[in-house]
Amino acid sequence: MRARRTALELLGPAALVVAAGVLGTFVSQTTEIYFVTALISVSTVVAIYVFVGNSGVLSFGHISFFAVGVWAAGVLSIPEQEKPATMPYLFDFLSSTTVGNVPSLLIAAAVGGVFALVVGLPLMRLSGLAAGIATFAVLGITNNILRYYEKIGPGLNTFSSVPETTDLAQATIGAVLVIVAAFAYQRSRLGRQLRATREDPAAARAVGVSIYRQRLAAFALSGFLAGFAGGLYIHFIPINVDAVYLDLTFITLAMLVIGGTTSLWGAVVGALFVSALDSVLAEMEDGMTLFGVTVDLPAGSRIVVVSSIMALVLILRPGGLTGGREFSLDRLTGLVRRRPPREATS
Amino acid sequence: MSLPAPALELEALEVAYAGVPAVRGVSLSVRAGEIVGLIGPNGAGKSSTLHATMGLVPARGDVRVGGRSVRGRSPESIARRGVALVPEGRRLFGELSVEENLELGLAGRRENGDRVADVAWVYELFPSLAESRARPAGELSGGQQQQLAIGRALVAGPSVLLLDEPSLGLAPLVVDLVFSTLETIRDRGLAILLVEQRAQRTVALADRTHVLANGELRLELTPDDANDTDRMVAAYLS
Amino acid sequence: MSVFLASGLSDFVSDAVDPQVQVDAIGLGAIYALMAVGIGLVFGVLRLVNFAYGQLIMAGAFALAFASDRDWPAGLGIALCFAVVLALSLAMERVVFRPLRTQSAAVMLIATFAIAFLLQSIALLWFGPLGKTATSLAQLNRPVEIGGLDIRKITIVAIVTAVVCLALLVALLSRTSIGLHMRAAAIDSQTARMLGVRANAVSTVSVLIAGMLAAVVAVLLTVQIPTVTPTFALQETIIVLAGVVVGGMTRLVSATLGGFLIGYASGLLGGALPSSQSQYLPSFLFGLVILVLLVRPDGLFSRTRGLVERV
Repeated sequence: MRARRTALELLGPAALVVAAGVLGTFVSQTTEIYFVTALISVSTVVAIYVFVGNSGVLSFGHISFFAVGVWAAGVLSIPEQEKPATMPYLFDFLSSTTVGNVPSLLIAAAVGGVFALVVGLPLMRLSGLAAGIATFAVLGITNNILRYYEKIGPGLNTFSSVPETTDLAQATIGAVLVIVAAFAYQRSRLGRQLRATREDPAAARAVGVSIYRQRLAAFALSGFLAGFAGGLYIHFIPINVDAVYLDLTFITLAMLVIGGTTSLWGAVVGALFVSALDSVLAEMEDGMTLFGVTVDLPAGSRIVVVSSIMALVLILRPGGLTGGREFSLDRLTGLVRRRPPREATS
Repeated sequence: MSLPAPALELEALEVAYAGVPAVRGVSLSVRAGEIVGLIGPNGAGKSSTLHATMGLVPARGDVRVGGRSVRGRSPESIARRGVALVPEGRRLFGELSVEENLELGLAGRRENGDRVADVAWVYELFPSLAESRARPAGELSGGQQQQLAIGRALVAGPSVLLLDEPSLGLAPLVVDLVFSTLETIRDRGLAILLVEQRAQRTVALADRTHVLANGELRLELTPDDANDTDRMVAAYLS
Repeated sequence: MSVFLASGLSDFVSDAVDPQVQVDAIGLGAIYALMAVGIGLVFGVLRLVNFAYGQLIMAGAFALAFASDRDWPAGLGIALCFAVVLALSLAMERVVFRPLRTQSAAVMLIATFAIAFLLQSIALLWFGPLGKTATSLAQLNRPVEIGGLDIRKITIVAIVTAVVCLALLVALLSRTSIGLHMRAAAIDSQTARMLGVRANAVSTVSVLIAGMLAAVVAVLLTVQIPTVTPTFALQETIIVLAGVVVGGMTRLVSATLGGFLIGYASGLLGGALPSSQSQYLPSFLFGLVILVLLVRPDGLFSRTRGLVERV
């Protein structure tokens, strides 16, 4: 019985993601873009969840690891002859190296993970407000450096000529891989120890759990997965440095909060729900006909809607859409039962 | 003609922290002009009882002040109903002056009564405070700080005074002073609920003393039992 | 190489020491100090970092632009600015701050982050990315000659206003009963409530004062930056936040000092540093913030116990 519950925790989110991927094959090419974006969002948000959800510590900085993954995968996979067009000042070893799709993703993940490890070494001693502010500062530093340090990337230019290898299949597989990694972590001893520190730090310390080390491990894994997601992203669409800064930080945190910060299911549901909402609103901004009525929202309405929902969730239902609970069939079979959330501590 | 309701009544009070019960069904009452003691070992739930009375922690059961229930109200509004707490460790505002600390106590006043007279009475009870009016509270001695904490509670003109281990960390002579001050306060007509670790002295001072162990009331002692206190309590709890 | 650096450094120093640059830097410091007080006051009393503070200033600036568009007299425009900012502040206090009072500081931070985006996106919707201009007080941007220097009137106004506002605030905090309640709530809110201090009143007054300061800053900034866009004051707010953290969030004095110094430093650097050298300045600033949080979490100018949880 417990094994089945555990299996569902993984299968629920994975199945939902695969379903989204499959659904995407039936839509038009322009609509398919929304699906791919949604699936990459799943990877990103689950990566953030691995740290924030398990440790209970806020981080504004994860898009730095995403950005670093974007840079690594992008710079290394642009064909050699195209590099000078947008990146004329690259370090020699970067301009002469070109790698394929999968290697670029692995390198992106590795760079994200190492960066997170380095950043986490000093920062994981902090909690609460200080962690939020410090990670925000990391975001700022990363953006500043990527923006002006033209030896490692395009600086202010837009990435272009990156092979567009992230299609629906790659995005879906990528999302599933990230979900599997997140699940494996939270079910492992490391993950459960970290969750214990979130629930009751004193008790956890009393049984010898090092809060610092557990957080550092999660942070590094989280950075690894975020870097991977960044790699997926740059293989999908050309971007510039400001596309991986405050707006992306906001939307991914909104997805996590709205879905439910403390569960994998919450991260996946949040990413897909907000992506769907965002896509519909984007269509409405362009002028969309819905049931015979033309809706033409002014540009920028999307963020108004998403930020309002995020604020309402925080104020009224902090557990988010999923209540912070993992996927289980009990909830599908009917009544709302007032049970405390089942933690992965068994 | 029936007696007026007791100044303070606790009925079947229950407090739990994260599912762990700290107070299990405590019922007691304190009348005006009475000192009721509450003693017991560490972790018995004495502080929790006071905190629940003051609305600082959620609780089940009922708390009635002058016959009217205050359960579920915020601490500010319970203060305004005439209950004042002298918390464990005093919790004074060290950077603020003695005068400012007392002035903060006035925040909890109901609008009847004469605030000037009440402040004057506090300075009369504790002359050393009057001398140190402008000094930061953090610079006072332990005994003076305890006096300030009590004074701060008194300026609110309460009908019920709750004290959480006022003798903690004080020298015996200072404890004498504090306890005799409590008698004076009692004679003014306040109802006093005194939580203490010093079992014997409390039993000698209070009109009645309850023994709390593991969240439950076990024994009631009167001043006649003062000399035998430790033995009786130990025998009961062993 | 070192000769080059040395001459660069001496250029910078001689530029920086120029009294003109000094005065402008102090003027900027004054404005940043007011922002720091607004942020620090709400933090002290509510333990809440209002990420959306910059958006309050933006809203006030748009109100001024609105009035300026319709050729309203300057006084009326300023009144509208105050009205808008105070109304928005009160709404934030009631709808967001109060319900979240029991939550952790991190939750409150992320909530104000959401509100910041909400307000900014509403402004984008309403006024478009190019924004509007607020020109009613433009004549304050003209210089006046004092002692051989050309000082803009707005610089003098900013410094005087800052001093007056701070003096009023100090008087309020130390001489009034609500001020005493606010100070007590900032030190130990639970005990303050136990004594009868009304948490709601203290919260509302703090937010209103911070709002008034935001409105003042909106007026002062629009004189120097008449183009009001949805990102108005965003950069300044982030810089001030950094200054407040580095100076010390827990005490109003250290927060204000931090805000002033970072404004002053920005003014000096802006006036004396060529732009090619200043690209990585944000990184240094953010790096300083991280360093302070790790090593001296109460800030450089603070002397008390920690607000920061450590493991």
